[in-house]
Amino acid sequence: MSATTYAWLVLAFPLAGTLVIALGWRVLFGRLAGWLGSFAILLSFAAGVGALLELLALPEEERSLTASAFDYASTAGLDADLGILVDPLSVFMVLVVSGVSFLIHLYSVAYIASDGGYARFFSYLNFFVFSMLLLVLAGNFVLLIVGWAFVGAASYLLISFWYRRMTATAAGIKAFVINVVGDVGLVLATFLLFQATGALDYAGVFTGAEEAFAENDGTLVAACLLLLVGAFAKSAQIPLHTWLPDAMEGPTPVSALIHAATMVTAGVYLIARTHPLFELAPAAADVAAIIGTLTLVMAATIALVVTDLKRVIAYSTMSQIGYMVLGVSVFAYGAGLFHLMTHAFFKALLFMGAGSVIGAMGGEQSLDRMGGFRKAMPFTFATFTLGALALAGAPLLSGFFSKDEILAFTIDRGGGYVILGVVGYVAALITAFYAFRMVFRVFFGKAAPEAAELARGGIHHADPQNPATGEVEDSDVGFPGPEHHVAERSAPMAAAMAPLALLSVVAGLVAIPGVTDTLEHFLEPTFADSRFIDVHPSESAEYIGLAVGGAIGLLGIAIAYVLYMRRPGVTLALRDRLRPVHSFLARKWYFDELLDALFVRPAAGFGRFGRTVVESALVQGLLVGGASGAVRAGTSFARTIQSGYLRAYALLLFVGVSGLALYFLIASA
Amino acid sequence: MLTIHLSIVIFLPLAAALLAAVLPGRAGRAGRWLVLAGTAGSLAYAVAMIADLDASSAGLQYVTDIAWISELGIRYSLGVDGLSLFMVALTTLLWFFATLAACLREWEHPRLFFFQLALAETAVLGVFCAQDLALFVLFFDLTLVPFYFLVGAWGERDRVRATTKLIIYTLVGSLLMLAGAVALGVLAAQESGGELSFALADLTERTLPEGTQQWIFVLFAAAFLVKMPAFPLHGWMPDAYRAAPIPVLILLSAVLSKLGAYGFLRVVLPILPDASLHFQEIVLVIAVVSILYGSALAFSQDEARLVVGYSSVAQLGFITLGIFSLDDLGAQGAVLQMVNHALVVGALFLVIGVLARRTGGSESLAQMGGIAMRAPVLAALFLVVGFATLAMPGTANFIGELLILFGAFESKLVFGIVASAGVALAAVYMIRFYQRAMHNRIGERVASRDLGVRELAVVAPLVLVIVALSVYPQLVLERTEAATVAKVERAQSLARGEPPAAPTAAAEGASP
Repeated sequence: MSATTYAWLVLAFPLAGTLVIALGWRVLFGRLAGWLGSFAILLSFAAGVGALLELLALPEEERSLTASAFDYASTAGLDADLGILVDPLSVFMVLVVSGVSFLIHLYSVAYIASDGGYARFFSYLNFFVFSMLLLVLAGNFVLLIVGWAFVGAASYLLISFWYRRMTATAAGIKAFVINVVGDVGLVLATFLLFQATGALDYAGVFTGAEEAFAENDGTLVAACLLLLVGAFAKSAQIPLHTWLPDAMEGPTPVSALIHAATMVTAGVYLIARTHPLFELAPAAADVAAIIGTLTLVMAATIALVVTDLKRVIAYSTMSQIGYMVLGVSVFAYGAGLFHLMTHAFFKALLFMGAGSVIGAMGGEQSLDRMGGFRKAMPFTFATFTLGALALAGAPLLSGFFSKDEILAFTIDRGGGYVILGVVGYVAALITAFYAFRMVFRVFFGKAAPEAAELARGGIHHADPQNPATGEVEDSDVGFPGPEHHVAERSAPMAAAMAPLALLSVVAGLVAIPGVTDTLEHFLEPTFADSRFIDVHPSESAEYIGLAVGGAIGLLGIAIAYVLYMRRPGVTLALRDRLRPVHSFLARKWYFDELLDALFVRPAAGFGRFGRTVVESALVQGLLVGGASGAVRAGTSFARTIQSGYLRAYALLLFVGVSGLALYFLIASA
Repeated sequence: MLTIHLSIVIFLPLAAALLAAVLPGRAGRAGRWLVLAGTAGSLAYAVAMIADLDASSAGLQYVTDIAWISELGIRYSLGVDGLSLFMVALTTLLWFFATLAACLREWEHPRLFFFQLALAETAVLGVFCAQDLALFVLFFDLTLVPFYFLVGAWGERDRVRATTKLIIYTLVGSLLMLAGAVALGVLAAQESGGELSFALADLTERTLPEGTQQWIFVLFAAAFLVKMPAFPLHGWMPDAYRAAPIPVLILLSAVLSKLGAYGFLRVVLPILPDASLHFQEIVLVIAVVSILYGSALAFSQDEARLVVGYSSVAQLGFITLGIFSLDDLGAQGAVLQMVNHALVVGALFLVIGVLARRTGGSESLAQMGGIAMRAPVLAALFLVVGFATLAMPGTANFIGELLILFGAFESKLVFGIVASAGVALAAVYMIRFYQRAMHNRIGERVASRDLGVRELAVVAPLVLVIVALSVYPQLVLERTEAATVAKVERAQSLARGEPPAAPTAAAEGASP
């Protein structure tokens, strides 16, 4: 089979899984839906491996294959087919997405077991994987937008999976609408590119753009900025990031899969995929690099003060994606995508660990209530700590190599980029600190009552309630199920976490400066046309970078150790001393309030104005009032012969019309 | 070149209804199923014609053309091209499902009701097939009569007021159009020195001076914009939508609204190209305001019907935007979107009927909530329809909107950009509607239960059509392309400052 045939299979399995589970939910008893869904994704991953092997068998310059199923929308000069592109970049994404997705499916088999919407959950999850794979395999902009929007829809459905929770549905509509704003950006960008090049497929657009645009041509910069609107909406970058923390309303496996490991990296993929455009419009790439840097530092500072465990990890995700955006925007594609991969491993792992802890807490997510889980949950503790070490960039772990490679490339660009790189290092210090703030507050310190209960062999069960608002709930469909699960007692959960823990440790080995360059070499054919393909920091610069990065990571961990282990209470004192700073951070830099004032309120006000003022006065009152007033005067005469019957009235009208028509005709003939 | 096929398609529903009306006694109870069979027959005919259509030709097919009132130059002239055919198809499809929905509940004076329903179908099909302007106007006005009764006699709340408004608005529009049509025929005949003729093909060839075109344009535009309805001519819509029974409402919103858009494409653009260009920006302003205003009102409503009603104002705004981009991409998008909008609106109103049966008869969003809980099938079908309505990429509605926006960007970038805000607003009103009905805390009077067999039989097939079209929108695009491009050809070349394309015989399908 050729690589493209495998690629079709990659798409076919999750789609089939979606449909089978969605249509068969009545007969899929027990955990069958979960196993079926997991198996579909495993097959998809296997097909991805098949595509990889086929691709590797080809000479490097031929590793870009397209295939088309049928004409999707071609009319009046526009031509979009249902076509895919298989090249190293798409295969890399397929493997990361399907691989991590499989493990998260496996985790969910147990985690979500008692939920009333079990089959629905896996149907959505399979649909998400299908959408994401469609996004990365799409061969033209129209199909890219389709995958892009499907991913947003799946995300919406899973955020509001517990659909009777008002907080979850509110988070869902917020995420969906911001994602649609991103879609609109993509549509506009696609138009500008289509107008200039007459093409919609990647190859046609890229070659056409080179002919049509000079460097930093206004239209091209506009198109690239619009692409960034799409990328930022999906990847939660400033100012379109506010939906991501709210998205934590969804079940924890969803946070792990969609809102950490895969979907939110779509923006990074998009920039990498359209790199020929950004290299032609370096001004737009610089905008992306700056916004990525702003996001990574902003999100890291917020993660310092948030007390909801899942939201800390969510802000961490935003921050880490900022690094990736920075990487691909300074044209260090290999480094950006490398970090995308390692982040997928350790962030999925962190969320899984968080899910296990939240299970032990009976659904409670606040760090303030947690503590001392180290003994009661040794496996969760060990894996979570490995994930946190990787996130902190501790030497030799995966995040250490990948993050530092991005920063080394950035500084190597010189000029203003050095500032971006330095900011990146500062944020790395904050990252290491907040990562271990979580570890110390969850697993060390005074044991929470729930930890003691777990150690005794029980598990805490609170009355079902919304952890954010305290509203009373039941555990029927639309709310979380009655049971809670921890990794220590659920084999599928542990089986999913162990490989991720291993990968978080060793995945860095594919790109050790001067030793291995497996990943970058594999991706090379995709980026062969890049002007920056041969630009590398010198080996010594990379090693200096690694040394600095490693030292910063360890320093951050050390500070966290001092503040939370050695001198607990200092952080509270600090908070009181720096009250304004703390509340600025706790209110998330006021972005929610800003967007609310700029868009939500005006739109709602416009609607209210229309309903109360325009509709009643202008439309219903003046126009109709005037017209029907005139008619009323006329009909007061007619009423005598109208005899009250609607039918006669209608007949009269009709005869009147016909008479008038005849009059016109005869008069003119 | 004379076939009876189109006459059969048009008059089959009416014939079945007449037969049903005279059936005696007990057999008369089965009359409604006879009416349904009549609409099914027309639907089958339309499907067969789509399969048989010569997609490469912009010319008319299945032509019937005989002198009718020769003194006035009026001919009984029917014919379809790709554009008309899909309008015929959506009419017969929606009428079939609306009639089916009507068959499944009880009515006062059922014979009369089903007769009116069938009469209305015949009238609408006549509009879509007419190739003589006089015939077009006749059928167009004929649609008023049955809808007057359907809303007025079988309506619900406040029906008299609603009917009066509906009739005043549309009648004023129709009268203006009638005057416009008469003037068009007469003046064109004078101008060219030929015989009085209302044949669309003749009128296309007899180009009027620009000044004359302009005032005739205004007369036609008034009628068509009211029918859609477009802001600020939508005053009849809220009351009529509140009053109409669901099956009638489906037809009012899904099919009747298309008469206006179709009229622009069939009559106005080819025959009055200079005026279309002259008024382009004014109509685009109306379109864009309709999009924004309709969307904003849609997410401010509590009544489910009006959410859909105002969303239709916005969607028809998109269709108008596509047509008056005077660009073949935009026009193609408008045609596809006409089909799409008919399908989703039909399905949405059916769903509203289903929802109301679970909330103790209320259609207020405030009374709904949590209906998804015991109704996963309903939730899934509604979700698909909702995503299609908000034109999510992956649905045919998205392709329609994409083409419309591309057309608008190409000709008038600013209008296109402002209109694209409507895409995001659509997500707001549709998801809000879905959540308030299906999700959130359970409403006090809500009794959640899944679709019954009858409900499923009406809703599911429409949803399947929506899904099928989403997978393969090309089905519509490739069959309507030639006809649609021919409609905008003249106005487009005027807009681009190219030498005016002479109306070709093939483009308008002049028949012997």
